[in-house]
Amino acid sequence: MTRSEPAADPKGCCAAVYGSDLLALLLGEAYHPGGASLTRRLAARLALASGERVLDVASGRGTSALLLAAEYGCTVTGVDLAGPNVEAATRVTRSVGLADQVRFRRGDAERLAVDSHSVDVVVCECAFCTFPDKPTAAGELARVLVPGGQLGLADVVAVPDRLPPELTGLGAWIACVADARPLDEYVALLAGAGLTTTHTERHDSAVTTMIDQIEARLTVLRLTAADQAAELGLDFARAPAVLAAARAAVADGVLGYALLTARKPGSGPG
Amino acid sequence: MKRDRDEVFVEYTKSICPVCKVVVDGQVNLRDDKVYLRKRCPEHGQFEALVYGDARMYLDSARFNKPGTIPLTFQTEVRDGCPADCGLCPEHKQHACLGIIEVNTGCNLDCPICFADSGHQPDGYAISLEQCERMLDVFVASEGEAEVVMFSGGEPTIHRQILDFVDAAQARPIQAVNLNTNGIRLASDRAFVAALGERNRPGRAVNIYLQFDGFDERTHREIRGRDLRGIKQRALDNCAEVGLTVTLVAAVERGLNEHELGAIISHGLAHPAVRSVSFQPVTHSGRHTPFDPLTRLTNSDIIHLVARQRPDWFRAEDFFPVPCCFPTCRSITYLLTSGTPGTEEFAVVPIPRLLDVADHLDYVTNRVVPDPAVREALEKLWSASAFMGTDTTNVRLAQTAAALDCADACGVNLPEAVANLTDRAFMIVIQDFQDPYTLNVRQLMKCCVEEITPDGRLIPFCAYNSVGYREQVREQMSGVPVADVVPNALALRSMITDSPYGSKVAQHPDGVAAVRRVARDATNVGRRIR
Repeated sequence: MTRSEPAADPKGCCAAVYGSDLLALLLGEAYHPGGASLTRRLAARLALASGERVLDVASGRGTSALLLAAEYGCTVTGVDLAGPNVEAATRVTRSVGLADQVRFRRGDAERLAVDSHSVDVVVCECAFCTFPDKPTAAGELARVLVPGGQLGLADVVAVPDRLPPELTGLGAWIACVADARPLDEYVALLAGAGLTTTHTERHDSAVTTMIDQIEARLTVLRLTAADQAAELGLDFARAPAVLAAARAAVADGVLGYALLTARKPGSGPG
Repeated sequence: MKRDRDEVFVEYTKSICPVCKVVVDGQVNLRDDKVYLRKRCPEHGQFEALVYGDARMYLDSARFNKPGTIPLTFQTEVRDGCPADCGLCPEHKQHACLGIIEVNTGCNLDCPICFADSGHQPDGYAISLEQCERMLDVFVASEGEAEVVMFSGGEPTIHRQILDFVDAAQARPIQAVNLNTNGIRLASDRAFVAALGERNRPGRAVNIYLQFDGFDERTHREIRGRDLRGIKQRALDNCAEVGLTVTLVAAVERGLNEHELGAIISHGLAHPAVRSVSFQPVTHSGRHTPFDPLTRLTNSDIIHLVARQRPDWFRAEDFFPVPCCFPTCRSITYLLTSGTPGTEEFAVVPIPRLLDVADHLDYVTNRVVPDPAVREALEKLWSASAFMGTDTTNVRLAQTAAALDCADACGVNLPEAVANLTDRAFMIVIQDFQDPYTLNVRQLMKCCVEEITPDGRLIPFCAYNSVGYREQVREQMSGVPVADVVPNALALRSMITDSPYGSKVAQHPDGVAAVRRVARDATNVGRRIR
């Protein structure tokens, strides 16, 4: 969809892109596949309880963190690589009166400035796939959990060598997808960090919905601001083929979305 | 060996016997991924009807239910309980988003399908201007600032004073007038169309609610008794000429015109006068062709049919339940469009793909409302009072566009860009009205579409059609006895006979038609066990 090639550093790229204009145009800034309902689904699988300490890694603009605080009574710390996201999330938190319960700060998943054994639950939505050093990131997620603590992961799953060329050759948004892994590889990565996967489930339709949303925004852009969007790097001529390839990849099981919960060994929290 | 039931019991409620209209207990069950209402009349036996064709969508709709708004006045008291106290009684859960005034029973057609049982009949009634004004005053007293009044019938355009009625509505704090018509007069009387056009002005919109069931000749003959295709086209063109907005309203019957939904939308998108389409499964109240209550069409069936017939434009997920009434009653989506259907440049974007409608209209599970102003805008769009061309709808569409999730720094102001498209926004409404088979007081108690009666009541539309109020009012107004109308269901054939108006009524053992009695109560009436 975009003309630029994947950046050498996918994490930097994705963080930049998640704060970037083009992606905001195509996805909206608060976007993650499945939206609030999938976040609730994850929370339910984790059996989140009032008062639990939750760390939201790659918290974006804070939508999920606020949901977990308001609906489940958790105390949430959100960490995000992009400064503007942290600022925006902090603003919203104040405006909805949840500043006692939720805070945000800048941080890198591979070097979390969070004490070991200090959180009951780590949540990471649509971000792990973008971390370039996945074993290190998995180790960090495991480190901060208390013994018996849980990880809830929601992420893009993909079979990289079977992704259609239309997708792999594309720019920044796709750089995230391109480093997504099959579900069993995530399970193995977490196992390597000492986390035992307790549950997995597929939600591939969340990707189809995302493709529909991208298509809708592309159409609006084409109708109203085609020239400006082209200047930002949008290639309207290529878009239909890319979207069709993405849909086909979902239909073939090559591209999808999954929820996963894992537990750190040891006695339960609290 | 014990066996499991083949259904999941999900609700206990009240309904009526479709034959004698007494109030009976009802139960809602999920079976084969569908939703059924079942009830038993001590005298007439057991009845069951399909109420929603997709059990998952039915259950999911529960969260799109907002707290009702209390009207300024109630017209009746609670005495016998729902649905015998209409209305509105103080137990009613919602104000009137839409008030309907039926100006006559006479019609220039005798359609085989007519919930109002109207036609060329010698013994009906027509209201006077004075009566109309009183009805409008009742509506305004109840609403304060009322949103929409609909003139219906019969055929309202053949009432000699219909323009006076429109004027009377516009002289009151009522934002919009809808004229529900078969289009015959609009097709031939251009002076009349022009007079309506003059009345369509900022702050006082006039919208035409045009019966439009499809394009097959068979559809026209079986629903309307005549091939009206040329007339519909002329009516539409005449409306476009004077700038009147039109809603195409299709009565959809199983096995008849359910294949024409995509074509109707397409036709609407291509015609300059049309800004919305409303699909209504045929209401099996009043007069209709024989049907099977277990295979009738429901909202979810229509949604899936639309998605199947135009997969290039729609998915089932583009439609959302309307929270002001009971969410299973009505679903809506909005489109942004550009260009003409059939041409290369034509584009359609369902608005729910641009922002998270579910999050904003979910009043139950979602406790962090992303933006209250956006919710308020969406509430007015996902409402029974939403009609394209009214000021409210225009403003709310623009607000929704402005809420589009996008930074200003893009260099492209997407919200503004979308706002510029809202003048070609298009609404699709799917509404399943209840009949004596499907009536569920749970839905009735939160109904926001009310019939305004000449004696000054506001009666939920589906109660009016199903419980016996329509017959009661017609009898009062015409002075001619009117028996309770019974659905023309295949299973009731042995119990029903013809009414003078083409509908069916209960047959007494001695062969005469039964008399009318509104909602005698045979449910939990305060007796101890016997």
